Amino acid sequence: MDFLIALVGKDFVLTAADSASARSIMRMKSDMDKMIPLSSHALMLLAGPVGDCSNFGDYIQANLKLQALTNGFEASTHATANYVRKNIADALRSRGAYQVNSLIAGVDEQDGPSLYYLDYLGTMVKVPYGAHGYGSFFTFATLDHHYREGMSLEEATDVLKKCFLEIKTRFLMNLDSFKVRVVDADGIREVEVAQP
Amino acid sequence: MAHRYDTRTTIFSPEGRLYQVEYAMEAISHAGTCLGILSSEGVVLAAEKISTAKLLDMSSSAEKIFKLDEHVACSVAGITADANILVNYLRLTAQRHYLTYQEPIPLERLITLVCDVKQAYTQYGGMRPFGTSLIFMGWDRHFGFQLYRSDPSGNFGGWKATCTGSNSQSAESILKSEYKEECTLEEALLLAVKVLNKTMDSTKLTAERLEFATMTKDENGRPTYSVLTPERVGQLLKQGEEIRKQEEEEEKRKKEEQARQARERKKELQAKTGPSSASSS
Amino acid sequence: MAFEFGGMPQFEAATCAHRSTSKALVKHNAGADVDEDEQQFTGPVPMFSLPRTDNPSEFLHQYSDANPDSKVKIQFAHGTTTLGFKFQHGVIIAVDSRASAGSYIASQTVKKVIEINPYLLGTMAGGAADCSYWERVLAKECRLFELRNGERISVAAASKILANIVYHYRGMGLSMGTMICGWDKKGPGLFYVDSDGTRLTNNLFSVGSGSTYAYGVLDAGYRWDLSVEEAHELARRAIYHATFRDAYSGGHINLYHMKETGWERILNMQDVGPLHYEYEAMKEQSMATTAD
Repeated sequence: MDFLIALVGKDFVLTAADSASARSIMRMKSDMDKMIPLSSHALMLLAGPVGDCSNFGDYIQANLKLQALTNGFEASTHATANYVRKNIADALRSRGAYQVNSLIAGVDEQDGPSLYYLDYLGTMVKVPYGAHGYGSFFTFATLDHHYREGMSLEEATDVLKKCFLEIKTRFLMNLDSFKVRVVDADGIREVEVAQP
Repeated sequence: MAHRYDTRTTIFSPEGRLYQVEYAMEAISHAGTCLGILSSEGVVLAAEKISTAKLLDMSSSAEKIFKLDEHVACSVAGITADANILVNYLRLTAQRHYLTYQEPIPLERLITLVCDVKQAYTQYGGMRPFGTSLIFMGWDRHFGFQLYRSDPSGNFGGWKATCTGSNSQSAESILKSEYKEECTLEEALLLAVKVLNKTMDSTKLTAERLEFATMTKDENGRPTYSVLTPERVGQLLKQGEEIRKQEEEEEKRKKEEQARQARERKKELQAKTGPSSASSS
Repeated sequence: MAFEFGGMPQFEAATCAHRSTSKALVKHNAGADVDEDEQQFTGPVPMFSLPRTDNPSEFLHQYSDANPDSKVKIQFAHGTTTLGFKFQHGVIIAVDSRASAGSYIASQTVKKVIEINPYLLGTMAGGAADCSYWERVLAKECRLFELRNGERISVAAASKILANIVYHYRGMGLSMGTMICGWDKKGPGLFYVDSDGTRLTNNLFSVGSGSTYAYGVLDAGYRWDLSVEEAHELARRAIYHATFRDAYSGGHINLYHMKETGWERILNMQDVGPLHYEYEAMKEQSMATTAD
């Protein structure tokens, strides 16, 4: 039931995730954070079983921190995404896979902003915008129609709001609160976006 | 006393020395000279081959410089058999990194990893240190062109110009005095020839006995490794020889000039004070 | 062949913890003795005897009621109502006491609150054996933590130990839904941990087949600034209503209050039978007063 969404703008990536933690038909928690920073300029959004998400997220985060320490610099978004993909693919072919779908948003000094879409089978695509979960069925059309390359933060936020509204209108489940974060040259920060 | 601490695995002697590691370094100091020079346009590696047997088939020319990946290469000094193991490990490590990150391995990471192996072999029981010193040249997006040297202890460092193998100390002192920051690749190549000229027996300084390789960037900004052909090396040696001769002549002329000046000064002095005082000096 | 170091310690980045556990399991299955040193090496994941089969969870599955072809159908206890909430005066934990196996009531006097230590409580839902076993293991780990570090373990850390253990055993048939509650430097703590490896913190949780009914009462009456008496009554009423509607919950109510000074037992096996008539009488009374 998790919903993740992200889109690449002019010099930033705008990301959002719902903040409900569901178990069977129940909501256990309404202020869940489904994003985990992988470096000062890379953010991973995770959807799937809560145990897998938190364990996989922590594992990747710790390893990338260690690598940053030994290398003396943080990995590029490209390298980070490929590292995550490799771990998912390796786990899939061993005892116990991580059933996590993810989006990796990052901004590099050299490569600029980028977004990677990964699923639990180890598929990886570099995309201008992406979404996971039931919410993606409702929002991809909106994104396809309204997304433009090189949007400003204001424009991107407007598109995101349209997605939120569509979910509120058409999705059976009550996804009413979202956490919205921006990754840009200054790092990762939370932004307030008025919920529909 | 030393023999009690140098015949088995590497343990400290009472003076706090690791003889096996020191002996490994000694093995390297007898090997052919290897040197590397950083320039603004790329990096140069040069190595001296010590092939003795007349009957040895030299069809495989690469003997001391190895390409490890598109963006990194190394030259080896010391026991070639040991070096082959490390080169294999380096190539494997670079490819593993590419498999995981889909990105070329950063130089320092690669070198750190191989030096971890070298260090492990100075500490674990039943092991002998690698009798190999490596000079790495390469390029990565983080720090551009780079040059490193590692030794059997697992130590490594980044250099602007460095060398290892026989006569490395005199070679280093030449590099120290002659190296110019931001020199061109051509200048770096000629400096390498010059160093080899002074450290090697001049009769042995032939294109067949030398290996040259460069790491530069192509028109698309991608790192390119190239091995210099024997013809090109011969040309460099000739150029080096000309420069050497020129410098010698220059030197000679300078000396003659100095001598002439000295003579003239002497004459002037004699003219002033008279021949009597000149004879007294 | 690739260059590898046989017999030498490998220097690797943080290894995936579950890998080391799976190694230990294989070893144990092979019947080898596991010494204490090795346990130290694998971290706080204790060894656990498993049937000597290739896949323990498959082995168990074929004898459970999930397999229609088997004549042996072990029905696992699942029915329960447990709840916990934080409020201004600490944490309240309340549970029922029924153990069921299918439609059979196995016991009406089960203790579903596990007293880990004077500052930590755990609740039990799902497999009774799994919960009591692993929470006893948790008690051991918490005591060891105290001895090693000279201070009490935080609720966050304690719950993380349990979550890590069950995560290592994921997909192997463990069934647990537990709340770990306590008091540490940060004040009252409440975590939900289940056998899927989920670990959450919140002000209010209810777990078990009766949890939906309990949530109905709790969500209506919960506030941070409840008085102690109000909090006790809210928890008791929530459990009562769950036992009334949920056939798999019943028996007695146990209620604990976690304070800065440690836990206190407020209700000790209060029978829900008489309680039903008490609440009925109260309802009739209030209906009579509104009729007036």
